[in-house]
This record gives sequence, C-alpha cells and structure tokens, in this order.
Amino acid sequence: MKKFNLYLSAAFLALILLSPSALLASGKALKVAIIAPSAQNDLAFTQSIVDGIKAIQKDREIELAITDGTFVVEDAAAAIRDYAKKGFDLVLAHGSQYGGSLKEIAPDFPDTAFAWGTSADTFGLANVSSYEAASDEGGYVMGVMAAAMSKKGGVGVVGPIEVGDAKLYVDGFVQGAKAQNAKIRAKVNYIGSFSDVALAAEAARAHMAAGADVLTGTAQMVVGAIGAARAKRVPWFGTQANQTELAPEIVVASQVYKWDVILNKIIADMDAGVKGGKMYKINLANGGIVIEFNDAYKLDASVKEAGMKAIAGIKDGSIKTGHK
Amino acid sequence: MRGITKKFPGVLASDNVDFDVRAGEVHTLLGENGAGKSTLMKILYGLYQQDEGEILLHGKPVQLTSPANAIAHGIGMIHQHFMLVPTLTVAENVSLGLKSTRGALTDLKTVSRRITELSKTFGLHVYPDEHVWKLSVGERQRVEIIKALYRDASILILDEPTAVLTPSEVDDIFVIFRRLAEDGRGLVFISHKLKEVLDLSDKITVLRHGRVTGDTTPAKSDRHDLAQMMVGREVKLAPDKHEVETGVPLLVIEDLYVDGDRGRHAVQGLNLEVKSGEILGIAGISGNGQRELAEAIAGLRTPQSGKITINGQDTTASKPAKIRKVGLSYVPEERMKDGAVGDFDVKENLILLNHNSEPFCKNGLLNFREICSHSEKLVKEYAVKTPSIDATTKNLSGGNIQKLIMARELSAGPKVLLASQPTRGVDIGAAEYIHERISQQRQRGTASVVISEDLDEVMALSDRIAVMFDGKIMGIINQEDATRESIGLMMTGEEQEAASV
Amino acid sequence: MNDSFAVMIIVATIASGIRLATPFLLASLGEALGQRSGVLNLGVDGVMLLGAFGAYYMVLQTNNLYYGLLVGIGLGLIIGLFYAFITLNLRAEQGVSGIGIYLFGLGMSDLLFQKFVGTPRPILPFMPLDIPVLSGLPIVGEMLFQHSIIVYIAFALVPVMSFVLHRTTYGLNIRAIGENPEAADSLGVSVMATRYSAIIIGNGLAGLAGAALAIELGIFQQNLTNAMGFIAIALVYFGAWSPKGVMIGSLVFGLVQAIVLQCKTFGVIPRSASDLAAMAPAIITILALVVVAKRFKQPAALTKPYVRGG
Repeated sequence: MKKFNLYLSAAFLALILLSPSALLASGKALKVAIIAPSAQNDLAFTQSIVDGIKAIQKDREIELAITDGTFVVEDAAAAIRDYAKKGFDLVLAHGSQYGGSLKEIAPDFPDTAFAWGTSADTFGLANVSSYEAASDEGGYVMGVMAAAMSKKGGVGVVGPIEVGDAKLYVDGFVQGAKAQNAKIRAKVNYIGSFSDVALAAEAARAHMAAGADVLTGTAQMVVGAIGAARAKRVPWFGTQANQTELAPEIVVASQVYKWDVILNKIIADMDAGVKGGKMYKINLANGGIVIEFNDAYKLDASVKEAGMKAIAGIKDGSIKTGHK
Repeated sequence: MRGITKKFPGVLASDNVDFDVRAGEVHTLLGENGAGKSTLMKILYGLYQQDEGEILLHGKPVQLTSPANAIAHGIGMIHQHFMLVPTLTVAENVSLGLKSTRGALTDLKTVSRRITELSKTFGLHVYPDEHVWKLSVGERQRVEIIKALYRDASILILDEPTAVLTPSEVDDIFVIFRRLAEDGRGLVFISHKLKEVLDLSDKITVLRHGRVTGDTTPAKSDRHDLAQMMVGREVKLAPDKHEVETGVPLLVIEDLYVDGDRGRHAVQGLNLEVKSGEILGIAGISGNGQRELAEAIAGLRTPQSGKITINGQDTTASKPAKIRKVGLSYVPEERMKDGAVGDFDVKENLILLNHNSEPFCKNGLLNFREICSHSEKLVKEYAVKTPSIDATTKNLSGGNIQKLIMARELSAGPKVLLASQPTRGVDIGAAEYIHERISQQRQRGTASVVISEDLDEVMALSDRIAVMFDGKIMGIINQEDATRESIGLMMTGEEQEAASV
Repeated sequence: MNDSFAVMIIVATIASGIRLATPFLLASLGEALGQRSGVLNLGVDGVMLLGAFGAYYMVLQTNNLYYGLLVGIGLGLIIGLFYAFITLNLRAEQGVSGIGIYLFGLGMSDLLFQKFVGTPRPILPFMPLDIPVLSGLPIVGEMLFQHSIIVYIAFALVPVMSFVLHRTTYGLNIRAIGENPEAADSLGVSVMATRYSAIIIGNGLAGLAGAALAIELGIFQQNLTNAMGFIAIALVYFGAWSPKGVMIGSLVFGLVQAIVLQCKTFGVIPRSASDLAAMAPAIITILALVVVAKRFKQPAALTKPYVRGG
C-alpha cells in the first residue's frame, strides 16, 4: 500500500511537471480559473462567464482552467483553494453561494486576485473583487414587452429561490410589466429549487392554467418550463443566455450577459496592481447586458418598439427599474 | 444410506455411516449435539453432498443434489427451525415451489382443498387460509408436516421436532407420527431426549463423533443403555490431580434469573458456590442456559434478579472491566467472536486486557518493547504454535487460538476462572494441554468453572459436576460418585435421585 | 374568481399532481419489487439518470419516442444485471453498492451528455393521448384522461404488479424469498434466479422512470432527476411495499407538490414562506412514513445475502 502511494505521488508529480500549465507558467500568459455550479455549456449562468473569458482570449493570451458542475459548495471551495495554490493569477468563483468559502480562503493567498459574483460584497479584502449584473434592467425590458404582448392580461414568472441574480431579474420583470400595463396580473412562482426541472415545468403549466399567456423564468431548471411553454406555444422571454435554441418557436428575446466588459476591467486593474476591493457591474449602458431578439419569432412591431424604448430609457436614466 | 462420509474443514462430521429406514417404521437417530445426526440428514435432504458412500431409495442408488431433488424423490424434512414464511398463508406456504395446475398463476383453491383433506385424514387441524404468523409453535409444526405430506413424502425426516414443543403438544404430535408410520411412510426421528426416543421408536441408531456406536430397539435397551451409548467413549487420560485443600468460596451465585435473547428466562433460580482450589464442571446440552449464565457472570448480560459474588464482592450488575479487576478470567464459548480479534496479530490479542495500563502503555502510547517481550514469553510458556507474535490471529488453528486466549486469561492471575466449551473444535493434543492448564489452577487456589457439552471433559477435569437443564441445576455430584449414566439422565431433564448427593 | 374558474384550477392542479407522480411511481414500483425479494437498491436515482440520458439521446438521434423508452428500459436492465451480480454473487454490502450505482449514474450520464450532446437541445415530448369517450367527460376527463401515454403505462403497472405478486407462482416466490429465503430454498425455489429477475426488472422500471422524465420534459441536463430516485425509495416504505401503497404515496407526493405550486402561483402562500413550502412534500412524506409505515414490517430478509446453510 505504501509503495503504491509512492508510485502514485511520483506519477502525479511527473504529470504536474509535464503539464502544459506548468510549461506556460514561465511565459506571460495570464492564468485564470473559473469555478461554477453548473455545466459550462448550460446555455445559462455558467456558460455566460466562460463565454466572457473566451471573448477576451481573442486579444490576450490567457490560460484558462474550468471546474464546472460544482453544485456542492465544499467541492467548489476545494477547487478554489487548489487553483490559488497552483499560482493562478485570477480565480473566478462564479456563484453567489461561494462567498462564504471565498471569505475564508482569500486571506491565505494575498498574491492571488479573486473575483466572485453575483454579489456586491468584497468582504473588505484587498484581493477580492465582486461583480454583478444589473439583470433588473433586462428584466424590466422583458416585462414591458411581455405585458404589451399579453392578450389575456396575465404574465407568469418561474423562479428558483428568491435571492441574488434571480430576484433582481424577477423584480425588474414585474416592475416593467406593471409600467407597461398597470392592470396586468404578473404572477411569480419561486419553486424553491435551482435544479428541479420537472417542478419548473409544472410551475409553467400552473401559470398557463391560471391565465398567463406570456412566460419567463430564470436559473438552470427553467429548461423544464420552456418545454412546457413550447408545448402550448406560449411566448417565452429568456435570461442569462440566449435561449432561442431551446425553443425557436416561442423564445421572443433573451437577456444575455457579456461578462467580458467587466472582466476586461478587472484584468486591467490587475495589470495596474489592484487585486481587488472593487465592485464591478454589467448593465445595458456599458454593453455588459444585451437584449438579443430571436429573428425567427414574428414579433409585433409595436411590442419591439416598446422594448427598444425601455432600453433607451434605462440607458439614459429616464427609466428607473425600481432597484436602488 | 451406505458408508456415508462427510468431511468439513477440521471435522469428520460423518464417518462411514450406514443407516436405513423402512416403510411403516420410526427409526431414531440418537446422539449428542455434534454427533453428526444433522449432517447425515442434510445429506439425505440434498442440502449437503456426501464425500463418500451412496444413498439407495427403494433399492436404487440416487444422487440428491438439492432439496428440490430430494423432494422429487419423496423425501420430506421437518426442520428444527421451521422453514415457513410467516407473512404468507398456510396454503401459500404449502404451494411454494410446487408446479401449479394453472401454469404461471397460483392455484390456491386446489391447494387449500388438498390441505383440508390431508388435515382431516391425519387429524392435523390445519386451516389453509390462516397466516402463519398467527399460528402457535405446535400449529406451525403441523403445517410443516402438511408441506411434506402434500409432496407425497414417503420418507419423513423429523429433526428434533419436540425441541420447541410443550409436553402436551409432544403427546399430540407423537400420535400423528405413529399414524403417518402406519400409513406406510418411513420416519427418521432425530433426538437426544431418551424418554421420547424410547416412546416413539421402532429402531434406534446411536451416533457419536460421526460414527455409529450402537444399533438397538426400545425392547432391548433402557435409558441407561442409551445414555452410555450416546456419551460413552473411553476415558481420556485425566490430568494428574494433586490433592488440594479447598478454601473459601470465591464465586457465589444466589437465586439467579437471566433472560435469554428471546426474552424468557434462560437461567431460572440458579444457585452455585465454587471454592478456592476446586473445579466445578457444568454439564448439559447446550441451549439450556449455559451461555446466558456465563455471560451473566462475566458481566456481558445483566441478570433480572439474584446475586453474583466474586471474591467477596457483589458483581451482579457490574461492568466487565470491573469484574475483571475483581479477579475473573473468562474464556468465552465463541472464541473468534468474543475471545479474540481475528484481524489483530498475536501480540495485540495477548495484551487486549491490559493494553491501556502500565507497563504496556505509558501516557497513552503503547510500549512495544514491553509488549513484545511479554508476548514472546507467553507464546513460549503456553506453547502457542505461531510463526511469530506478529502473525494475524485468525490464521492460527483453533487449538492455538484457544491456547493464546488461555495464555492471556491465565497470565492475569485469576481468582475465578470461567471457561466455556474450552476444547470445542480443538484437536486432541491442544485439548489435553488446555485441560492440564485448567487443572493447574487448582494448586494456585483459583475457583474454576468449566462449562462443557463434552461429558468426558467435565468428568476428567471437575471436582464436582453440576448438570444444567432448562436454566436450572438438576443436581451436583462429586466426581468420585459420578457415572455417565447418572449425568446423562440429568442432562435430559431427570431430577437427581436424592440418594446420590 | 368565479366557480368554473376555480374548478378549472383544481382540475389543472390534480392533473399536474398526476404528472409529477408518474416518474416517482415507476421508480418506486421497481424498487418495491426488488425489496420484496429482499434486495435494497439505493442506486435508483443513478439508474434513472442513465435511463433519462439514454432515452433523450436516442430520441435526439431517431426522433422516435418509443425507441427512447426502450433504451431507457434497456439501460436499466443492464445495470440491474450488474447490480444483481455484485450483490448476489459477490454479496457486496447493498447500501454501499447502491450508492456506488447512484454516483456512477450521476457522473456517467453527465459525462456522456457533455461528450455527445454538449449544449442542451430540446426533443419533442409525447403529446397528450386523449382516451376516447373518457377524455370528453367533464372534469374527470381533463383530470385523468388527457395525459401522455407514459402516465397511463405507469398507473396500469400498479394492478399488473399486484396481480403478479399475489396471483402468480413467480410473485409467491418473490414474497417468500424476501421473508425467508431458506424456506423457499428448502422447497426447491431458486433464491438466486428469483432475486436476479426481480432486481433486473426493478432496475428496468427505474430506467423507464428516467426515460419517462426526460421525454416528458423534452430535455436532458446534469442531475435531471434532482434526487427523485431517493424519494422513490422513501415512497416504497411509505407504501408498505405494496404496489397500491406505492401508488398512493406517489400521488400524495405529487399532489402536494402541485398544490403547493398552485398556492404559490395565486399567492395563497406568501413569497416569504415560499422556500419553506417547497419542503412540504418531503415533510408530509416523512410524517406519513412515521405514522403509516410503523404499522408495517419490511421484508424480513431485506439486505441480507442468502447463503445456503449459512
């Protein structure tokens, strides 16, 4: 047994020495690690940050390492610490549930820059920055369009748990819908889970039964809700990524995050020697939030116009989404 | 069955046994536990295969490879532990494993009708739709009989069928057995209860240590003859006995009641006194409360009432560690379960008792130099055959593990030694050695208790012999006055005659 | 809110509960079968995940939903064969082996998905199959007879399994072996063959449950089952190992989920209590388990490997 362990560690050591990351460490490439709760191609939250880094990779040499699917926080914490130990320059903890772990780990690695989101809290640490998306802005725009589209006067929202990015989006959506039509019935259902796809599907059906004829929703489990909406041909507004692929017939538009906008800022600050302590935010105005329309969906011109008007209003500050 | 031989690792369970049963007769297999009765019958029922010999049915040799096979040949067995599914009905239990007349579907109606018929014919009073868990023990046994009859068993093996019955149930079932024999079936009756054997049998075959030691009939023998055949092998060399003055009582048990695992009293109102320098043997067929008694003395089982005093201290409800401190050494019945840790090495097992006190342990750390020298000494002194003191214990032979346990227990310098089945499954050489060691304890002034099923062992070792039956001491005899017959009788539940005290 | 609207909502809620109950029902029927024969399988969720991915991928390739169901069942049967081998032949500890199967299914289904599919692509689910005449009935029509074919299959399996357990010799063998394998063996019933078949069929049902889930939702993603398999195991205890009991358990669980959802939709449950309410089905199941299951005993030989003469 002891012998076996010895061989194992020897082999492991050799592997580390020969790995491309070790070879590149001598070069100038920036080493960035992403730890995220769901799959990197989830067409949602995790994919958005991966796409963000990949966008930057076009202009700059970045060595990227990804640990995805860590919905268990302890696993994520181990990965965060591991990357810091291996000498990564920037470690991105992409999930609001990782904050507690990061608060404990970051002080042990003062030379590593950590960023996490979505959140506005840097714990007062010099090497932790936070980032968030003003998803209430996209939500507001979607809400305006949904209310403009609804014939029955009812819209429905499927949410996970009332926290973070999801809460921002949902609140913005309801606000926008009410702004468009004060009499709209905007019903919100937080199903209590980020992962129960079947329950999300039934939540969408419950909305439709209760008279909603336009739906939206946020978080990984909404694929179920989209499926249910698709079966009844009920229009859907997406967020966190372009969800057109999931249901080309019904997806009207999606709020998409372009994290590269703030990632560029974080990296620029790092170049200038600032490893943290700052808060970053993407929004419609800085181009970090983009509303992508599904060209295949025949959208009433007046609805699109209402949407564009809302976007312009938010950008110039004449419209407030209700969030601080 | 001709020349049946069956070996198990270390035991010759059946040694060239001939046995036959004819239609219309009850042929008894008599023997102590472990004499090879059950092995022989399991071979006949297809659960085991013989190593040598052949089985003839109606004059033709047969291969019985499984119970299903045996059933097909008309052999039925009433197991000592009932083979019934409590959650199913009687009819379901009976139809289990049978070909149904309706193909894949069960045909409980037909089965029920047949059960009712059979029940009437033989006076069994079995009702097909009742769930088995609602039935009494006697009723369950009759369901077992129905099961065998339903399969047209021409040979019925009855494995200690009376063990769990009340006396009146025994009378009833015997009437049924006779009726079955008169109906032309051959019955094999397995028992060690002499009275019942004489009552029921047409022929009796006695087995001991896997060999046939006697063939007789109730007309030619009485209980004394049977007892002698059952327990009587030539006396082994008894360990040399030095005259020892017995001293003060070191173990006193007063009116002790201990519950068994199944709740009811396993030990019922037992009194015993063992003095310094004497060995008290407790004889009896196992399952009569010996294990519970031993565990109660050792503190592993809490008595319901009564009092146990060791070396002048009341230890009735004390923890094992405290009882050990008072001066008890205990060699348990299940050597690999309670006596030693199989995966530990020899030296670790040798210090199990005092591994957390000086000199083996200082400040919570084990002192290996001390442990090794102590272990080497014991291994030599007690002639434990082991490659080294680092050998894994479970790889040693039974006799050597027992010697190892004896070494550990006796080196503690006991006031009271309690040894349960000390030589069961141990080869003769080791057994003699262990006997010698126990015998030496007399000179040390230890009060020793040896619990054993092996009558020869008890008689060779003990100064006095107590016989246990149904949780009570049937009587205590001085070694000089003891005969196998008198002990054998008490072992089967006969009260000691007043004269022989 | 007028009366007809209220009736419509109640109907929709019950229909929703039935849909939610279906995968639980299929999985727990399979688990009940295995447990009746004396073998515990904690790996149900893993088998469901593999069945779900297999079915999803098959439909993606062939666009044939029935092929998908067959692949789901097939994968379940294969894992069942493997599980039977390790628990019956190698006599591995059943609790640990089951968890092993779960972790294998969880990881393998995700790995295969990432490798062969990557980005989630939707498949078209079964359309509701309206039962002629019955589906036209007021109220009950929509509630019970306008579901997809999988729902009908699942509920039809309940009487089928009851019949098999109680009216066939095979069922009698299973019940006997789960309680007292020695007794069955002594009468020539093969403990090995019976347990093998029960485990394989049980896992086939778990695979079908996963396939049903993926096809009903028209999608696959990592951990799609969200630990449904473990709830299904609890429902077997809830249902006291009987097909009918398991069905009632699944329905209670599904209906409570649906009712909680509906109440949230209408704001009957305030948003502040929303997460608490999400736990209601689990809590109610546990309470029922404590009250109901206490009266019933599990198969006496459950988790105990059988060795002749041992």
